[in-house]
Amino acid sequence: MGILEGIGTGFSVALDPTNLLYVFLGVLIGTVIGVLPGLGPTATIALLLPLTYEIEPVTAVILLAGIYYGSMYGGTITSVLLQLPGEAASVVTTFDGYQMAKQGRAGPALGIAAIGSWIGGTVSVIGLTLLAPPLADLAVEFGAPEYVALTALGILLVTYLGTRHPVKSLCMAALGLLLATMGQDLITGTTRFTFGQISLFDGLDFVAVAMGLFGVGEILYNVEQTEKAQAVKSKIKNIWPTKADFRASGWPIARGSVMGFFIGVLPGGGGVISSLASYATEKRVAKDPTRFGKGAIEGVAGPETANNASSTSAFIPLLTLGIPANVVLALIFGALLVQGITPGPQLISQEPEIFWGVIASMYIGNLMLLALNIPLVGFFVQLLRVRAGILAAFALLVTMAGVFSVNNDPFDMWVVLIFGIVGWLMKKTGFEPGPLVLAFVLGSILETNFRRAMLTSGGEFSIFFTRPMSGTLFALMALVIIISTVAGIRRRRQRSRPATPGEEDLAATGTTAEPEGTPGAENTDGTATDEASAQSDSGVGRDRS
Amino acid sequence: MRISSGIAGVALVGLLAACGGDDGGDTTTATGGGGDDAAAYPTESIRMLVPYGAGGPTDLTTRTVGACLEEELGQTVVVENLPGGSGALATTELVGAEADGYTLSLVTAGTMVLTPLANEVGYTKDDITPVGVMTEVPSVLAVGDNSPYASAEDFFAAVEAEPGTVNVGTPGASTPQAIELQRLAEEHGVEVTAVPFNGNAEMTTALLGGNVDAVLINASSDVVQNIESGAFVPLVASPEERLSWLPDTPTFTELGYDGLTLSGSTFGLAGPAGLPDDVVSTLEDTLQTCLEKPEVQEQLGEEYVLEEFAGAEELAEVLDRTQEVYEPILG
Repeated sequence: MGILEGIGTGFSVALDPTNLLYVFLGVLIGTVIGVLPGLGPTATIALLLPLTYEIEPVTAVILLAGIYYGSMYGGTITSVLLQLPGEAASVVTTFDGYQMAKQGRAGPALGIAAIGSWIGGTVSVIGLTLLAPPLADLAVEFGAPEYVALTALGILLVTYLGTRHPVKSLCMAALGLLLATMGQDLITGTTRFTFGQISLFDGLDFVAVAMGLFGVGEILYNVEQTEKAQAVKSKIKNIWPTKADFRASGWPIARGSVMGFFIGVLPGGGGVISSLASYATEKRVAKDPTRFGKGAIEGVAGPETANNASSTSAFIPLLTLGIPANVVLALIFGALLVQGITPGPQLISQEPEIFWGVIASMYIGNLMLLALNIPLVGFFVQLLRVRAGILAAFALLVTMAGVFSVNNDPFDMWVVLIFGIVGWLMKKTGFEPGPLVLAFVLGSILETNFRRAMLTSGGEFSIFFTRPMSGTLFALMALVIIISTVAGIRRRRQRSRPATPGEEDLAATGTTAEPEGTPGAENTDGTATDEASAQSDSGVGRDRS
Repeated sequence: MRISSGIAGVALVGLLAACGGDDGGDTTTATGGGGDDAAAYPTESIRMLVPYGAGGPTDLTTRTVGACLEEELGQTVVVENLPGGSGALATTELVGAEADGYTLSLVTAGTMVLTPLANEVGYTKDDITPVGVMTEVPSVLAVGDNSPYASAEDFFAAVEAEPGTVNVGTPGASTPQAIELQRLAEEHGVEVTAVPFNGNAEMTTALLGGNVDAVLINASSDVVQNIESGAFVPLVASPEERLSWLPDTPTFTELGYDGLTLSGSTFGLAGPAGLPDDVVSTLEDTLQTCLEKPEVQEQLGEEYVLEEFAGAEELAEVLDRTQEVYEPILG
């Protein structure tokens, strides 16, 4: 199927009234949770995951994808108006967006963010349309050594980039890898660390772990915060930016689109890193860098474009390789697995309606968001009046019912509660759940592929370096370590200069403590392992003992 | 030990069957119904457990058969997915249920023989009452379309020339396919390197990408499609006789590898141990009626419905034989 024909199929799926409704619901929910501080896309998708089991797989992914990129739009609103990033990727927007609002330019800030997001999202969908099919063809050639290299790279990037404390992240990643060893050993078929519990034969359920760490942990943490209704003082007017604004934002939007696209494809990329990178770039190329932090529109336009572009391109590794690039994609991966679909290089040929339907829905969803955001900003802001306590109680109820429905196993509810408490403690102590969940998911892919590579090579480690693709990836990893070490040193030097305005406040509010809503590259393969085996196995009676 | 528990099981079945018969008789008399004992069952809704997740072939099979049973028996059939523990979760639920015919489950040689042999699960195949075979999915040894092995002879010649160098994918470590490859090495001296994957999708990708030389794979509908499109070339089939839809593909038996007929998957229907005889025969008859319906066959996949119906006895035989063969390997 060619790209044109594919996209045609895609639109015929995406324009189905049911799917149109779910795109709309997705972007609406996304915007709403983007506005509500604390409840980011990860927590929301984790909470809503079980509700998607009853709908068609393509519809489920359309909904979840809509929530993801929708939240990128919504997060901007509170960042600009209240200096409160609704979700992590919008942290950067508070630097200049809030300053613009203070100068009475909240309207143009929100306007340019919506327009930039739309352009970034659309550019990225076009990139996805053009690049994913050839990439999927290439991905078929990937064998065990390549998967080892990719997953190792993912874990490396997640622990190195986009986290404040690489050492803490590393600890969490290690814990995630350990947890991934529970359950059946895929190569020998024996069970490990099950403590005689049949419920642990397949390891911990990824959905339950993610819902606990992100959903319940987040809820507990928020409930603990003092509740106060937020009042929005700034008047929002002149949303449509002026010509001068457009002129100033043109290049930042263009650069943000491209940068966001490429960063999103990287494991562990997505949201925050892309917006940080875009902000840093704009500041570097600006004629007068001192304007940044004082209301420069480029500082809003670039990052907002980039985070949206990256949230779309993050779908590429999932749809072509079956490797989710971040936690949100891991959850979407989980949703597909539960539906009996294993994303991978075969997806595009075996399930074209899912592949192309989701892509087409993104074109539509981005248009809807543009239409929603510009006139309805005032309405969304009112949402901030909802008390966290009410939201929390409701969310907890949905979580518990939801996780039970996945496997009909009460055991999973305990897993959610325990990991909820662990997640809450981690948040309080500054450990991020992202690397843990990512490593948990990637861990089983990494382990089985490593051992598979050893089996096929007869125990020769050279298999990882002699194959062109995995050799390149390992070289890339070495490069990442060198670059990030150098950059880390440089950043530390820069930090001695006055911090970017807003950063400290944000840190103080705690809302931002987590750099990434989507912190980790995630693979949902954890689930994958369980569920895939359950399903495909069940598939054909894969009887594993 | 196992034999004695088997005998005990049989004795128990007989005992309970007698009781069940009596009860049935009483009910019939009491209600003044003119039918035989079987008419008394079922009087309430039936649970059918699936030991795997929704959406897979086991789920499809159970739901299709369940819908037909519902129609034929006039009682609601509720299909429940209880995935986990390699089938142990659902099977534990099954063996713990009342032996009254209102809790049934899909069983496979995997959930009933492999899982209990490899793990401490607290049940064996003797803790169930077989009802009949719903579908049987054979396995095929397949290679990619650009493989150097054009036939089974080429393949085995290459393996024998350099033992251990040919990689063959299996759907998992303790799947019937993996054990079959182990038996191929132990009983026939043909050594391939078995590479366990996680289900059909991963194996398919690995074969198409040239990352394994061959796969021993369940011929479920995705694989049939790949065979039809020419992407997979089937070299050997697992059943004793050639498959009607693959008339040119030899079987392991034909090629001289006697006894290697256990890599397919049998999806059976069963209740807890001690299911009354009349209930078993009602279910067996109904299942047979269902499997003869063209629309049911079409939904299940015609190639997976046995040409000749296999009832309780035949399902028990499949499980017994698998146990016999696997016990020395796994036990």
